[in-house]
Amino acid sequence: MERNEIFDKLSEILTLAGGESVEGLSEQTELKRDLGLNSVNVLYLVIAIEEMFGVTFDDVGVNMFKTVGDVIDYIQARLK
Amino acid sequence: MKESAKAKLFSFRYFVFDFIKLTGAIPTLIWLRPKRIYAGEVAKRRIRGGALVIANHSAFIDPLYVMTAIWYRRVRFVFSEELARSRAGGFFRACGCMEIDRQNPTLGSFKQITDALKGGEVVTIFPEGHLSGENGDAFKSGAVLMALRSGVPIVPLYICPRKMAFGRLKVVFGEAVDIREIYGERPTFAQIGEATKLLYERQTALRERFSDTLHA
Repeated sequence: MERNEIFDKLSEILTLAGGESVEGLSEQTELKRDLGLNSVNVLYLVIAIEEMFGVTFDDVGVNMFKTVGDVIDYIQARLK
Repeated sequence: MKESAKAKLFSFRYFVFDFIKLTGAIPTLIWLRPKRIYAGEVAKRRIRGGALVIANHSAFIDPLYVMTAIWYRRVRFVFSEELARSRAGGFFRACGCMEIDRQNPTLGSFKQITDALKGGEVVTIFPEGHLSGENGDAFKSGAVLMALRSGVPIVPLYICPRKMAFGRLKVVFGEAVDIREIYGERPTFAQIGEATKLLYERQTALRERFSDTLHA
């Protein structure tokens, strides 16, 4: 799956979970600082990603994902 | 209360927990003389199937109080990674406790808890995330996500802090809250926050409503 395809799906998940579209989302957007997510929100996001992409995140802590780009890197690595 | 899968009556996995419970039951009941107070007729119903119990946490001994209050079920607890790393960590794990890193939770530890709930077990979490005073602190939202993912009800419990070593244990049972019923299966981040606030308010209401009985 291409990187921009993953980004679009991730943006869709964030829109659904956030209840509104996320303005100015980029790979550099920080999950906690810019989107205001807490660790439970990130966990919720990770669960949604698992379901949408069919990848497993079992052994990683949520703090591993600082930016949207980190999440995309991880999904890409798991999909390979 | 909605029925879910049934937990096993006997399992070698919980040998330590069951052994302690059986041998310690009579001395504990004599010592604590528990008084159970119910918020209503629905709260009086025994917990059947999987359920997530949330309780305030003002003393290290609170898990014993929860076990005494819900004596008819095997109760598993969620404990912090600091405690898991301590010398007592192995003992708690042998008792069926499940650890979670509060600052950096992993999906693996989260799934262990939701799997137990889906398997029909009763799991207790102290949603304040730390020891607090009699008035309690705001809840963290992990409990909401656990209940949401496993589809079990949340049972709020208020444990009245005991001022004297031989004082009677008083526990208030609230009515079960079904998060999915209120917010659906896929709530937004804001709704998860709202649900967390709702649980905190329900528990605070238990404390305030039964204040006279608890301090009599």
